[in-house]
Amino acid sequence: MVRSRKDILTDLADSVLNMNEDKAVQVAKEVLETGQDALDAINNGLVKGMNQAGDLYDKEEYFVPELLICSDVLYLALDILKPYIKHEASEKKIGCVIGVVEGDTHDIGKNLVKIMLDVSGFEIHDLGKNVPLADFIEKAKEVNATLICLSTLMTTTMDGMASVIEMLKKEGIRDRFKILVGGGPISQGFADRIGADGYAANASQTVAVAKKLCNKEKSCDALSAFDENR
Amino acid sequence: MTPYQRLMKTVKKEPVDRPPLICPGGMMTMAVKDVMQLLNVYWPSAHEDPCLMAQLTRGMADLAGIENLGVPFCMTVEAEGMGAGVDLGHQTREPHVIRYPMKNMADMDRLSPLDTGIGRAAVCCDAIRILKQAETDLPILANLPGPASLATSLVDPMRYYRSVHRDKKAIHELTRFCTDQVIRFGDAMIDAGAEIICIADPSATGDLLGPTAFSEFVLPYLNRMTRHFQEVKNVPVIVHICGKIKKTGTLIKEMDAQVISVDSVVGITSLHGLAPDKVTMGNISTYTLELGTPEKVEKAGRSCLRNGVDILAPACGISPLTPLANLKCLSNLVATFNTSPDTKEKNI
Repeated sequence: MVRSRKDILTDLADSVLNMNEDKAVQVAKEVLETGQDALDAINNGLVKGMNQAGDLYDKEEYFVPELLICSDVLYLALDILKPYIKHEASEKKIGCVIGVVEGDTHDIGKNLVKIMLDVSGFEIHDLGKNVPLADFIEKAKEVNATLICLSTLMTTTMDGMASVIEMLKKEGIRDRFKILVGGGPISQGFADRIGADGYAANASQTVAVAKKLCNKEKSCDALSAFDENR
Repeated sequence: MTPYQRLMKTVKKEPVDRPPLICPGGMMTMAVKDVMQLLNVYWPSAHEDPCLMAQLTRGMADLAGIENLGVPFCMTVEAEGMGAGVDLGHQTREPHVIRYPMKNMADMDRLSPLDTGIGRAAVCCDAIRILKQAETDLPILANLPGPASLATSLVDPMRYYRSVHRDKKAIHELTRFCTDQVIRFGDAMIDAGAEIICIADPSATGDLLGPTAFSEFVLPYLNRMTRHFQEVKNVPVIVHICGKIKKTGTLIKEMDAQVISVDSVVGITSLHGLAPDKVTMGNISTYTLELGTPEKVEKAGRSCLRNGVDILAPACGISPLTPLANLKCLSNLVATFNTSPDTKEKNI
């Protein structure tokens, strides 16, 4: 008996939320076997579960280990579904360069932001930690990104964010990109002072701010092909 | 009352003339550029030379008014000794791990036991010997990373965090091994002359791990370390925890450490409520210390004192770019602060 779309989507969301790998794989296969829409299963099943996990993280019911495992489960099911996404349904994704600025190696926050942006349909180019400032600009130009996300936990390195903005201005390409900053010592005030476009206090807020900056109000529509290099 | 007597009495909850001003060192590094310039002793060479290490921490006491000596200035000594690749940084940048010896949690055979007689572990012990021989009236603090923080310097933290659900046995094995190493290193520093141990476990903060994982994977090891130093070596222990501790707050009373130091986001009054029998330490915002004016720093310090903090200290250490004036104003603040009941009013 073929189960309803609603049941399948709920199962997919729950399997991500409850960190159930076996179930996620089993239901993803069921989606394909019963000829349901892979993109629908991703956006309205898997991603919904990840967003619920993000909500629990905000409420301090889930923590870093849980969020990481939820994302692992999501990606596992995603790998099964991805080859079956119908191409006409896909939309160009918004490019996002992300990294921890030079001098700082604290990347837990950046990794959580990356996961949440990725599942929200951004095309992620992760430069990692301790990233030379010029690399952000080079990469953003190379991939024609819209968004540059800069993270740091240390006061000694936060001025690097201002330097990136200054370097963009010097090259005359500041307006090509939206700059989003975050991390322990960063505040809205700091973001305003250095002329960043946005500030976010946590991973799920980053998604909302990023979407607003990129005029991408509808949450999951652009989610067509996930980042290959995650 | 000497700074040594004041701190030792404070940790035992005995009466003192005023709260001590402490900057432990270690992860909560205690050296600033202004003092390095005045002494002509700089990072990174002070990480590798016991004389320079001793001079620099002594300079922080003499020139900035910090009322303790403390080594080392980072939390990478142990990881390096166990096989991690470390970049010693530069004048204003702390040493940091650049290569994890373990690719994944199963790679424990890639770790070496920490030999406290060689490398930077020996530098720390030698620096402590030099400080001890100088016979100052300042207490000597030895800093250690908590076992979970050491573990996440040996393997990518993302792998460690995943193992909370996927491979509990591996986390326990790694953390147990790390605990053994830091205990031996702590013993070596105590034998060299260290008088207080300060354990910082930033990677294990409840904000990251959550209360369940914290009590399963961190607390037992932290307490084993603490009990060892307090009971076997008879040396007081300070434990510093990062983050909001909103959900892990109730676990503080389960910690065996006599002194608990917290992040600036945690109110001292709420800490007193969570652990009434603990000596409290903290918690002037590290960011305010670096970026605020002396007036703002003094206000933050005064607020800690007014809320009854037992030991005044930066919340998560100090940035090397912290201006000397901001530290001196704290030194002046505690010097004029009197805890006896009849004068308490006029101070606040």
